[in-house]
Amino acid sequence: VKCQHYPPARALQASAALRRASDEHKKEPLTSSSQQHFDSPPAGHQPEQEPQGPHPSYTGQGGQESEDYESEEQLQHRILTAALEFVPEHGWTAEAIAEGAKTLGLSVAAAGMFHSDGSELILHFVSECNTKLSKLLEKEQKLVQLGEAEKKPIDEFLRNAVEARLRMLIPYIEKWPQALSVLLLPRNIPSSLNLLTSMIDDIWHYAGDQSTDFNWYTRRAVLTGIYNTTELVMMQDSSPGFEDTWRFLGNRVADAMTMSNTASQVQSTGEAVVQGLMGAAVTVSNAETSRAVT
Amino acid sequence: VPGGRAALRLCSTRMEQEGINKPVIDRIIRVDHAGEYGANRIYAGQMAVLGRSSVGPVIQQMWNQEKVHLKKFNELMVAYRVRPTVLLPFWNVAGFVLGAGSALLGKKGAMACTVAVEESISEHYNNQIRTLIEDPKKYKELLQVIKQFRDEEQEHHDIGLEHDAEATPAYSVLKTAIQLGCKAAIFLSERI
Repeated sequence: VKCQHYPPARALQASAALRRASDEHKKEPLTSSSQQHFDSPPAGHQPEQEPQGPHPSYTGQGGQESEDYESEEQLQHRILTAALEFVPEHGWTAEAIAEGAKTLGLSVAAAGMFHSDGSELILHFVSECNTKLSKLLEKEQKLVQLGEAEKKPIDEFLRNAVEARLRMLIPYIEKWPQALSVLLLPRNIPSSLNLLTSMIDDIWHYAGDQSTDFNWYTRRAVLTGIYNTTELVMMQDSSPGFEDTWRFLGNRVADAMTMSNTASQVQSTGEAVVQGLMGAAVTVSNAETSRAVT
Repeated sequence: VPGGRAALRLCSTRMEQEGINKPVIDRIIRVDHAGEYGANRIYAGQMAVLGRSSVGPVIQQMWNQEKVHLKKFNELMVAYRVRPTVLLPFWNVAGFVLGAGSALLGKKGAMACTVAVEESISEHYNNQIRTLIEDPKKYKELLQVIKQFRDEEQEHHDIGLEHDAEATPAYSVLKTAIQLGCKAAIFLSERI
């Protein structure tokens, strides 16, 4: 079973090794030696190459990289994605990353590439969830544009989008409070804030927000508040299917809609009052002028 | 590799629009939007004071053109998903106060303000054109828009001069002060 995990990593290593060889004008028949590695994957030998192998060549000889050459970043992505499977059991820790590395046929030492508090794993997860949400919203938008679906009213759209995003946490809900505290570490705040704001901006964009004034900020601030509070409620929720959370979410979104309606009503009332006062002032001044004349 | 150095670039969920330099375009559209918004408010302030005077129609016409400019930048802002500057409410008030204040100095004062502001804006647009023209094909639409607007702002500048802007008392002091304010506004709006 384990052999099936090896080939992809080996292939990449083999092609990378081939490229290094040709660049450095080595005469060794590397093709045959890597073939041997395919046939008999010794546990100890190959893995040692992995952590060191990618490193010297990532600055790329002459910047030439072909499609099957995996960058360090792509490798890290693969490891972290594989590690997610082990989070429910091990938490957002180096153990989970080590287990993930093992399933890819890499040494557990690969976990040493990352911080011990699991920051990168959590940020990777959040980033992946945001990307999934984006794709989902884009797909829905296409359906509406093709006329195959009804355009949802804003409150329903926001509710569905936030719910969809929060549902992605369900498999990891036990360990999510730990993740939240790590995301709030000063070191991680720029990244986690960036991810949060771009997710909220995405939701508003697909909701059809086209504001170009201060409303841009108000709307995003309100939605961020709704998202964060609902997330916290979800952590404490033990109702079946998180129905309490979704009800809370619905209420908060409804509050926001009411608030915005009230705000626009206040504004138009204010404008009407100002108009009335101006009219009164003009009338009084006309009356004064005519009295002065007579 | 030390544990803390993992250089993970978290992918933004934003779509890449044909490889344009998003941060640069962001700034350009944000500051231009703020500029047109401010210009609108300046003319509104001037009209509030001088609307019924002999220069009223002239100011109104220039204001109408600024409204068209603002509308265009509103569209571009949505198309490129650019965030507006936080300082918009401030430019709202400051613009109106500048317009009304300069108009209270008389017709020449209002024209002097127009000359100062339009000169700043023209120079600013020229700088942006210089930046964008390094890759004319990628930024074709934006370049076209900015060039056209720059020409119209230059026209406003000339109209201001025609209406005796330079005859304003303390013209050079006024002009310098206003242009300094414009530079500060541009600097801030690009960033916040």
